[in-house]
Amino acid sequence: MGCRNRAESFEEDHSGASSLSEALLLTTMCIIGLPVDVHVKDGSVYSGIFHTASVDSDYGIVLKKARMTKKGKGKTNVGKEDLVDTLVVLSCDLVQVVAKEVMLPTKSFGGNITSDDGETVMHDICSRESPTCEVENHMKSLTDVKHVNQSRTPVQNENGFTHCLPPSTAAIDFERNKLPVNQMRTSTEVDCGKTDKTNIGEIEAYSGSSINCRQAGDDNSKRNAGDFREKPEFVKGKLDEKNQVIKSTHETNTHLAQVEAVENRSYMASNASDNGFYRTNGNASVKADDRCSERSTITNSAPMSSAQGIDLILESHNMPEKSVEISAPKGTDSTRNTKEFKLNPAAKIFSPSFVNPISTTASMPISANMVYVPNSSPVVHAAAVQPETGLSTFASLPSMPVKVAQYSNLTVGNGGSGSQFSPPIVGQLAHNRAQPLRYGAHYPPVLSEHAYLQPSSPAVMVGRSGQLVYVHSVSHDLVHGGTAISSISARPMLNHVQYPKQQGASVGQPIPICVPPPILTNAPQPFALQSHIPLLQPGFPVTRPVSVPGPNGYYGAKFS
Amino acid sequence: MATVDGGGNPEELAVGCMLSIRTTLGDEFEGQVVTFDRPSNILVLQEAPSKPGPGPGPRRNIRLLKANYIKDFTFLGHAEDPLDPTNCFLDLAALQAREDLAIRQAEADAERIGVGVTSEAQSIFDALSKTLPVRWDKTVIVVMNEVRVSSPYHPDSVVGGTPAANERVKKVLDFERKRLQLRSSSGQ
Repeated sequence: MGCRNRAESFEEDHSGASSLSEALLLTTMCIIGLPVDVHVKDGSVYSGIFHTASVDSDYGIVLKKARMTKKGKGKTNVGKEDLVDTLVVLSCDLVQVVAKEVMLPTKSFGGNITSDDGETVMHDICSRESPTCEVENHMKSLTDVKHVNQSRTPVQNENGFTHCLPPSTAAIDFERNKLPVNQMRTSTEVDCGKTDKTNIGEIEAYSGSSINCRQAGDDNSKRNAGDFREKPEFVKGKLDEKNQVIKSTHETNTHLAQVEAVENRSYMASNASDNGFYRTNGNASVKADDRCSERSTITNSAPMSSAQGIDLILESHNMPEKSVEISAPKGTDSTRNTKEFKLNPAAKIFSPSFVNPISTTASMPISANMVYVPNSSPVVHAAAVQPETGLSTFASLPSMPVKVAQYSNLTVGNGGSGSQFSPPIVGQLAHNRAQPLRYGAHYPPVLSEHAYLQPSSPAVMVGRSGQLVYVHSVSHDLVHGGTAISSISARPMLNHVQYPKQQGASVGQPIPICVPPPILTNAPQPFALQSHIPLLQPGFPVTRPVSVPGPNGYYGAKFS
Repeated sequence: MATVDGGGNPEELAVGCMLSIRTTLGDEFEGQVVTFDRPSNILVLQEAPSKPGPGPGPRRNIRLLKANYIKDFTFLGHAEDPLDPTNCFLDLAALQAREDLAIRQAEADAERIGVGVTSEAQSIFDALSKTLPVRWDKTVIVVMNEVRVSSPYHPDSVVGGTPAANERVKKVLDFERKRLQLRSSSGQ
């Protein structure tokens, strides 16, 4: 029995000289601090708090706050009334110790009595886990981040790094509904892993963090559907502890910390994307929630050492019930992750660097806008800068509230700013920039969707007067793509491209007067639009697979 | 139990047995053998859970019984090792905390029990403790650290404290006494 061995080793560490069997020792430990009845030789019964036991040769015990509850026939020096602070019952007097309502770590007992076990488990798992695999996972997560950023839609993320295939069809999407995402992911991870070799310190650390995963997997696998509710909290608690431990021990290793941070982020992003994607699918959303929450609890060890990851997800698929309850913890999880980042200074340092790749990737598409921007007004620059910072925060902090706030600011800027051009641009930039990230991380969460939509709609209203119409069209597209991917997805790409043009026409009709001055501005605007749209294209085709009818009605209402 | 003797390790074989045991002291109970520790001659048994507990797992009574006090026992059946070796983890800090808490609780409880007082006095004390902070000073109930209620714990035996506090204690005492009388009379 390997487990027995473990117990033995555990005891060897703590009580090397003990001659008692480990099971007795374990039982003894389990009843420490519990009220027990001690029967002694003369028939007396003493009740007290089990304090300790002699385990050297004879099994003598010590009670605290003991009181005689039954008088034996023998004469004792302990009165019936007195409360004995410390009562030592020698082995020769001891007949029986009865502890009531004890939880022994029996087989029917899923959870552990303690959280200390984590350490023991760690060692075991460390040795068991193949370190390279872990590193692969983590490195993969790094690369994943880029994918997330570049591709706007969750689906593409998945496809992009799971199969290294171009974003493809609905078939894959539906597949994803059925299959655990991680299965795909893990397969590619293994492949990519060969290329990624990092230092040993990292490997160790990651195998350490993998324990979280493993343990969570164990715990989860042991629990049945009924217990599922408790799972997030339970696992989360454990993970928290261990994460802190791990980080504190390895904090000096900055590289490691960085990777970890990125990993967290990327997985938050991917989680979110998954979630968002499923959201739109109605039925599937429940599953997504479950998985998301589950994964987010495991975020630190997110890469999901293959087997456990699958287990977890399969399980979550099996229990679609009560998405609401679990989704709530999920939010806290994201905040928790941010906290962890704060705890980890290295992660903080790294976050900007992480943002950089995003900005570069995003900058290419946005560049058109940038060119246009200077012409319109310098204010735009400031505005443009803002989104970036906002992005960085977004990227580093997956928590929703931050994002929502910023976004609302941007929209407010649109409404309030006097200059005609700059506001729309700001809005665009914001949309552009933010979106890649948003798609990745922010949109998926349901909460953000609502928040986002509302600010956007006012912007639309403002847009009626001026060029904002343009912004509003784009923003709506974007918004829809982000919030309700399904709705937009039904539309072919061409529609989007055409759409802004139509809008421009429509705008021109109602406000001919405005057009002339704007015309100059309008010229750049189309460019901006086009630039946007191509950018969006990669994202949209992916979203398309998620076909949800009804977007047409929406658009019609808007334009009419 | 020939198998026990014939087997290589009797402790291992005995683990999981369901036994009905009578002790020399007259106790009789059934339990499953968790382990038998030969050096200390202690048999660890767990009883079947009396009722499904509120916790995640079943809470059982655990008995550590000196084997030489077993008068006789009946073999009821055999089950597998009740201990889950994969879960044999203990949190020493949690144990310590649990013990500290239990001791504090025990002390608090002990302080609530008057030494050398009648049961009526104790019930008066308990009744007063529901509304006022009380403690025992030998056989005197001290209310709010200023009003003393000595035997026989009638309202006229309330002394000390500010007039307001004194009055209040008298009132409460009177009230509680009536309630106790009502309860005892109705109970009988």
